[in-house]
Amino acid sequence: MSEVPGDGSVQTSLHIDPYERNWMRLTVVLLVVFATAVTIAGFALGFQVPSPEERVDPNTVAIGDGPFGEPGLRAYPDGSYDLYVVAQMFSFAPNEVTISAGSEVTFYVTSVDVQHGFKIQNTNVNMQIVPGQVSKLTMTFDEPGTYDFICTEYCGSAHAQMYGTLTVEK
Amino acid sequence: MAVSRRKSKDMEEITSTEEEFHPKGTVLVLAIFVLVLILLWATVYLILLSRGMTTV
Repeated sequence: MSEVPGDGSVQTSLHIDPYERNWMRLTVVLLVVFATAVTIAGFALGFQVPSPEERVDPNTVAIGDGPFGEPGLRAYPDGSYDLYVVAQMFSFAPNEVTISAGSEVTFYVTSVDVQHGFKIQNTNVNMQIVPGQVSKLTMTFDEPGTYDFICTEYCGSAHAQMYGTLTVEK
Repeated sequence: MAVSRRKSKDMEEITSTEEEFHPKGTVLVLAIFVLVLILLWATVYLILLSRGMTTV
């Protein structure tokens, strides 16, 4: 409560201009709509963001007997693949991969030096690759074609040359 | 008392001026801003949906 100057009366609520009030209402409505859309994509449609799969030692992960010691595709009888990728300045290993159309690929990517990015163009596969951590994401490739994957985190002078190719055959 | 009445009259004039103030240009700029925001957001959202689902 506050006293209105001049007439001595008491104002019980804050005066808000109608334009200001409508702008606040519109802002709240937009936030609710955006949050609803994100919730639908995440929970009803099943879209998930990349997750850290496990912790590893970046100094030894690529030279041990583990999957990153020999990075590449692992094919399974059901037609799915696991792809283990090691990122380092300024290349991906492997940097050329071929799979069949309609196959589900689970990407496991780690870095042995600095932070990198792993984005497959024209898809939703986009991960931060942090040394000491394995990033994991799964996607099904239905459309045949050539998909470039690139580093999206500036990692040094030859960052722009850090890329590879994923080919999806019919 | 006279001073008090004058003050009260001044307040009425100010209130009257505020009620008649319609910032049409600002409303137009903000409307364009909101429309662009919605269009950009919706475009990115539809691209996300069209590219297919990712899971972990």
